[in-house]
Amino acid sequence: MVRRSIVLVALVLAALVAVTLPAQSQAPIKIGVIEPLSGPVAASGNYIRMGAEIARDWINAKGGVNGRKVDLLIEDNKSDPKEAASAAEKLIVRDKVPAIMGAWGSSMTLAAMPKLEEYGVPMVVETSSAASITKRGNPWIFRISPPSEMEALGLEQYVDRLGVKRVDFLAVNTDWGRGSITAFGDMLKKKGATVGAAEFMEQAATDMNAQITKIKATGGDTLFLTTAVEQITLVMKQAQEQRLGRKIVTTGGSSSPTQLIKQAGAAAEGSYHIVFFMPWFPEAMPDGRLAKAFVDEWAKRGHPFEGLTEGFRGHDGIATIAEAIRVAGKDEAAAVRDALWKVSLMGVNGPIKFEKDGPAGKESGQSKPSIFVVQIRDGKVALPDFLAKK
Amino acid sequence: MTRIGRWLPALVALTLPLWLSTYHLHVAIMAGIFGVLALSLNLLLGYTGQLSLGHAAFFGIGAYTSALLTLRLEWSFWPALAAAMALAGAAGWFVGRLSLKLRGAYFVLVTISFAGVISLVSVNWIELTNGPLGLPGVPAPELGPWSLRTKSAYYYLVLAAVALCYAVCRRLVNSRIGRAFVALRENEPLAESVGVEVTHYLVVAAVVSAAMAGLGGSLYAHYTRFVSPEVFLFTYTVTMVIMVVAGGKGTLAGPLVGAVLFTVLPETLRAVASWQWQMLAYGLLLVLLLFFLPRGIVPQISAYIAGRPRSDPGARAPSP
Amino acid sequence: MDQLLQHLVNGLVLGGTYALLGIGLTLIFGLMNVVNFAHGEFYTLGAYVAFAALGWAGVDFFVAVLAAIAAGAALGWVCEVTLLRPLRGESIDTTMLVMIGVWIVMQNAELLAWGGVAKSIPHPFPTAPLVLGPVAIAPLRLFVLVLAAALIAASWLLIQKTKLGRAMRATFQDRDTAALMGVGIGRIHAATFALGSGLAAAAGALLGPVFLAYPSMGDLASLKAFCVVILGGLGNLPGATLGGLLLGIAEELGAGYISSGYRDAVGFVIIILVLLFRPSGLFARQERIA
Repeated sequence: MVRRSIVLVALVLAALVAVTLPAQSQAPIKIGVIEPLSGPVAASGNYIRMGAEIARDWINAKGGVNGRKVDLLIEDNKSDPKEAASAAEKLIVRDKVPAIMGAWGSSMTLAAMPKLEEYGVPMVVETSSAASITKRGNPWIFRISPPSEMEALGLEQYVDRLGVKRVDFLAVNTDWGRGSITAFGDMLKKKGATVGAAEFMEQAATDMNAQITKIKATGGDTLFLTTAVEQITLVMKQAQEQRLGRKIVTTGGSSSPTQLIKQAGAAAEGSYHIVFFMPWFPEAMPDGRLAKAFVDEWAKRGHPFEGLTEGFRGHDGIATIAEAIRVAGKDEAAAVRDALWKVSLMGVNGPIKFEKDGPAGKESGQSKPSIFVVQIRDGKVALPDFLAKK
Repeated sequence: MTRIGRWLPALVALTLPLWLSTYHLHVAIMAGIFGVLALSLNLLLGYTGQLSLGHAAFFGIGAYTSALLTLRLEWSFWPALAAAMALAGAAGWFVGRLSLKLRGAYFVLVTISFAGVISLVSVNWIELTNGPLGLPGVPAPELGPWSLRTKSAYYYLVLAAVALCYAVCRRLVNSRIGRAFVALRENEPLAESVGVEVTHYLVVAAVVSAAMAGLGGSLYAHYTRFVSPEVFLFTYTVTMVIMVVAGGKGTLAGPLVGAVLFTVLPETLRAVASWQWQMLAYGLLLVLLLFFLPRGIVPQISAYIAGRPRSDPGARAPSP
Repeated sequence: MDQLLQHLVNGLVLGGTYALLGIGLTLIFGLMNVVNFAHGEFYTLGAYVAFAALGWAGVDFFVAVLAAIAAGAALGWVCEVTLLRPLRGESIDTTMLVMIGVWIVMQNAELLAWGGVAKSIPHPFPTAPLVLGPVAIAPLRLFVLVLAAALIAASWLLIQKTKLGRAMRATFQDRDTAALMGVGIGRIHAATFALGSGLAAAAGALLGPVFLAYPSMGDLASLKAFCVVILGGLGNLPGATLGGLLLGIAEELGAGYISSGYRDAVGFVIIILVLLFRPSGLFARQERIA
């Protein structure tokens, strides 16, 4: 009887000790990820997830951060702002993550932002392009993707060589499409081009013939196209059917030229694409070695090649957060936020360093990503012709 | 119905913030908002028998009205809430009048089309609604000197709204108007023949239902503090329909039970299932639930309990 | 004027595709009174089956379309027998909700099986458009229009001229009498649902190559199908055909001359107007739907 109670007391004591002992060295560091993993943009969300997983595995292979392994807690925002907010709340309150990456679409990101301020947790924005995200005075936001204005600036140097005089726009009817039209329209007008038609298509629309017919009637020389790769494919095919016959420039980085070649075939020939990663010539990226390694690892995992133009964002986002945790020395939200201002690292896209953006005293962080232009020629992705001829 | 059975849930509901984490309180608040929405849809679907598949339109109109008035014109929350209900109610009146001679599938289609038009307006009328970029920074409500920004405070606001809507529904349903609704649902030609002005009552139901949905919209806008055209997404309407029908249409408790269940369920799935399986599991559970309880949870359970022998001491009355 | 002609041609082709979606649903919704929200998912299924047949089995394009129809019909039969038949006595809302559940399950199963990336379905037609004056039309689209017309005609013949069709019409007009006359009610219900779903799958297999195949392609298709069905009158095949054509042309003209952002609104406004003045649809005989 006495022996049994001694054993019992010993067990209880052992349990208490185990629970109260600082388990820091064993517990993994948790990073939250919120992406659209189901719904109409599930492909993009999943590419980001795949890139994030590569970053996590590379970090863990090198021993983790501050000696601890990194764990990704992945949530689906179902392309619904309400779900993005709920996912953020769950990650912060239940899982106690010190940092989040997300949420792909601008309205999802905007919906999650109040939660970040409420609880004081930083979020690295990897895709959203709306200017308002960093201008709203939310000091917990750090964006590594370019807002549309920055993208337009990136193209500015090539406008003359592209020979753009009369421009028409066709964009998806979302904040991204509309923002793109505004940003590129302003930039082009500054360069002396005239803007003809600005047409829209619903996100789920498959028939854009009406818009193409209207654009055909303006007599312009260039069409700027901003939407996801599926719609770009459809627009190109339908433009070919209607014999639109003009230069096409896609913006936003989601055009996945490889997929376009596969699905639009000859209809994509000659088109230009603004991208933020060139998986076809990784050596030309700012850190060629890292880019090549990423492309190889992606292929090794059997992920589709066309996903690389988006997947790298997942890698860069997680790498940024991990670096911030390393600099901060602990996985505590406020410390991570402060550390994010100090980080300077090399991502697949290029150097990542945050600058202040937004109203004084409540600035968000915005990095200046590298922007590239490629062209589809002879059924392959190549550097644009205006660069090739010297 | 035992006294404990009536008071226990109320007690639980009143003290929720004391023993729930902020995340669970968030879920409770969302459940409450959807409870208001489900009650509103139930008025149309459950009592007059007309299905409105555009109900998200009234919800969205309420959300946008409230958000715009507090953001652009700097109104206080309470008059903005009243305006949201009024505008949504007006939209309900419009839809009700539009469908004078339409019933069944045709009424459904008018509601869908109406919601479709409103949704497109919210996306395209940039000057008014800011289009796809939405309206961030909607202010939190204030009650006198106190800001209702904290979760607990907001929870009580939502709870009060749910109680109010429940009371209104109950009064309405038990009144002459409510009986007219049921007559309209059960046998319209007969109702007309005894002098019930069915169209008039259908419009009344539409107005009250829409105003209530507008209330839900305003609560939603000031809680999430961000309104975008996604509030008009068909999935919101579908969710409301699921809550009403699975919970038990034509009862007062059904929509509330449905709202709680189908708000908690996706969040539970988020916790237990990895993201690949969450929606699949949700769909399967829905199908299974309807298979075993085709008339809805509350009616089915009430029928089961009513069928048990009275002398059974273990019998527990369902909560009202 | 050139633009107008092109818009009209676009609208006609688009409308043909809407008609194809509508005829399957008008059978299920119009005759069986089932609000089938999963209709769009059978459309998606057809596209993916065609993709699989062409990509893996490497079969002929027309065989792929047939395979899609067979798959849609088979799954439709199974759905009706396992889910709808046991719930036959329940209210229309319950069956509607079950089909919503099926919709969610099918779409997410497709997402799981195929991934979210859109798939391009190869087809044997040349891509260069046929040019007739100021108007251009792709051979594939012309083929779709022709085949849609053929399927509509075949369905009409089936319903009007065959024994099965007679049994269907009898069952939905007066079930008890039909049962007394020896019609197998259960089999008729299953056959009708299978037929409607097979037609949706056919639409998917045909339209898949025109557009792309992706898991959420059915959502918009479902909505347009419901609009077409109501416009044409429940259970009215020629009505659905004409309704589909009208909707396509109206949308095309609206997008072309009013605003591309409000394109879908044109369709909705037309529906509201039509229902205000002719509540039972454009082409149905005047009857009060209670």
